[in-house]
Amino acid sequence: MRIRTVIMMGLVLITVAACSSSATTQPSGGPSAAAKAWNLTLIQGVAGDPFYVTMACGAQAEATKEGVNLNVTGGNKWDATVQKPVIDSVTAAHPDGVMVAPDDSKALLAPLKAMSDAGIKVTFVDTKLDDTSFAVSSIATDNLAGGTLAAKTLAQLVGDKGTVLVVNVDPGISTTDARVKGFTDEMKNHPNITVLDVQYTHDDPTAATTITTATLAAHPDLAGVFATNVQNAEGVATGLKQASNTTVKTIAFDAGPKQIEDLNNGIVQGLIAQDPYGIGVAGVQQTVLALNGGSTTATIQTQLAALTKDNVNDPTMQKYLYKASCS
Amino acid sequence: MTGVQTSRTESIRRSIKARLKPVAERWGSFSRTRLGSVVARTFSTNAAWIFLLLVVLMFIFNFLAPGKFFTEFNVRSMAENVAVLLVIAVGETFVMATGGIDLSVGYVLLFSGVTSAQVMNWGGKDSTNSGWDVVLLGFVVAIGSGLAWGVLNGLVVAKAKVPALIATLGTLGMSWGLAEILSNGQDLRYLPKIIADMGASRVIFDKVPLVVIVAVLVAAMGGVILSLTKFGRYTLAIGSNQEAARRAGINVDRHLISVYAMSGTLAGLAGFMSLAIFTTTTISGHANDNLQAIAAVVIGGTSLMGGVATVAGTTIGVCIPMVLFSGFTILGYQSFWRDVAVGAVLILAVYTDQLRRRRRERR
Repeated sequence: MRIRTVIMMGLVLITVAACSSSATTQPSGGPSAAAKAWNLTLIQGVAGDPFYVTMACGAQAEATKEGVNLNVTGGNKWDATVQKPVIDSVTAAHPDGVMVAPDDSKALLAPLKAMSDAGIKVTFVDTKLDDTSFAVSSIATDNLAGGTLAAKTLAQLVGDKGTVLVVNVDPGISTTDARVKGFTDEMKNHPNITVLDVQYTHDDPTAATTITTATLAAHPDLAGVFATNVQNAEGVATGLKQASNTTVKTIAFDAGPKQIEDLNNGIVQGLIAQDPYGIGVAGVQQTVLALNGGSTTATIQTQLAALTKDNVNDPTMQKYLYKASCS
Repeated sequence: MTGVQTSRTESIRRSIKARLKPVAERWGSFSRTRLGSVVARTFSTNAAWIFLLLVVLMFIFNFLAPGKFFTEFNVRSMAENVAVLLVIAVGETFVMATGGIDLSVGYVLLFSGVTSAQVMNWGGKDSTNSGWDVVLLGFVVAIGSGLAWGVLNGLVVAKAKVPALIATLGTLGMSWGLAEILSNGQDLRYLPKIIADMGASRVIFDKVPLVVIVAVLVAAMGGVILSLTKFGRYTLAIGSNQEAARRAGINVDRHLISVYAMSGTLAGLAGFMSLAIFTTTTISGHANDNLQAIAAVVIGGTSLMGGVATVAGTTIGVCIPMVLFSGFTILGYQSFWRDVAVGAVLILAVYTDQLRRRRRERR
């Protein structure tokens, strides 16, 4: 009898939790808008990351403006095997449109194709698949240009000579691969700079820390590091701190709250900031356009900015800073 | 007034008891038959309770998300998304039935996928249009890689007497690191089209994914082996009391090696299935598969001390987290709540199991 009571108690708790939450997740879209209050879902590359939080802020702001409903979800790790069930479940929930940042450019083709085949409008935000034929639009930073910008900024910082290290996430991610390509291509124009083999961290800051300290040991002439995303930049910063190294110049992609702090404290010398807020806004715009039967833009590339200690407080640069929460 | 009521409830209770008596007697005689004892054993485990929980959860989600959760599409997706995990969880059930644990499964899975893909793309050739011979070779390599790691696990646990937790933690790191070295950290992105077609193919009126059929067959075979064969009885006997099993004449070392080898082999099979589903080696993926498999096995009523295990329980234990995951995502929960819910169910499952066990011991 007691076991049954315990089970029942558990089930009641789950039911109550489920009911109370489902009540709060349905904000009234407001029937005032002339167009239909479409239901949209944003599937983040990884939940809780300032980049995607900022993207969600932009998407939410635009959704409110256009009078459509937005739901935000994502896996808790940058991992295609974690994201696939998320995508499948969103397809089952059947919103009208989905903005998605796929975690792998190939592995998620089948579930996203199934989503599109189910009649859901799919827009790629930030990352995309190799096959974009069925997408409304692909909105991303011009990552190749970002890599070039990173190389130019870093070359300037290290005085155009020495050894530099590239710390990347994982192979097969279209955005970070393009950044590295832009970086290494540009570095060919700087013959006195040696670029070491690209190191991969699986988006794990501790791995980036280890790689940084190990590279410092192996290459005492290390002059600069290029970190291709937020997690790596945090790891590299920790590594340099551990080695109490102040001569290595670090340039990192992304401008989360911690990177800005690091920039102000001189732990990193340059940040290549994307515009996730703008990506979120454009994602909602394109998806709603497609739903309303308007004409969409197949590829949209958003702006980048090189942040340094000198310009980080400029009012024009503020839109490039990532947020930990929408305010 | 109250007196009348009491006597009425008393008489109702008596009449219910009287009506239930023949049922209980019939059950008693049925449970003494061979089939009956199997049924009785099944329902005396946690599996029955957990199955009830699974059904109730599905009802709740179907009620909260009508026309979305309990659809052909979503049931198929959930089944496809647990297929790989179910295969490694079946192996994990046998290992945990012996009182051991296998932490290496998720990374042996990765390693097997990488070696298989590399052999199929041998010499840098693009295997996209390769035939069945190449696919078969890749399959054999995946199974062989898994088997090799499994045998190594078994040898280290049974012969070198290294605790299973440490032995398999060691091979976890070794298999992961070697997978990275072999692939140079790069996902192999070209696989024979035949494999991708297998991953996408559906059988039985074009409704059930092939990978689900494979997983169900593995689970069915595992269930039969564990509960109806000598191999299964030895496995549980070793988990109950290793020394007693040894004195009863069971070759414990050899049996343990077989069990770990089986777990490794199934991880190899799961690696090949993962290649078919994702059409790439997903080298950054499957990071929590080992813990998910262990959680599924424990939710399914397998004792961490060994000696008690059912594959049916494991199968349900694999499904519950996926049902929660899918249901919560459909309802639009913030993603982290899914982990909270799965964690709570894990504790709830083990707690009810403990309660039941304690009550049985008191009897």
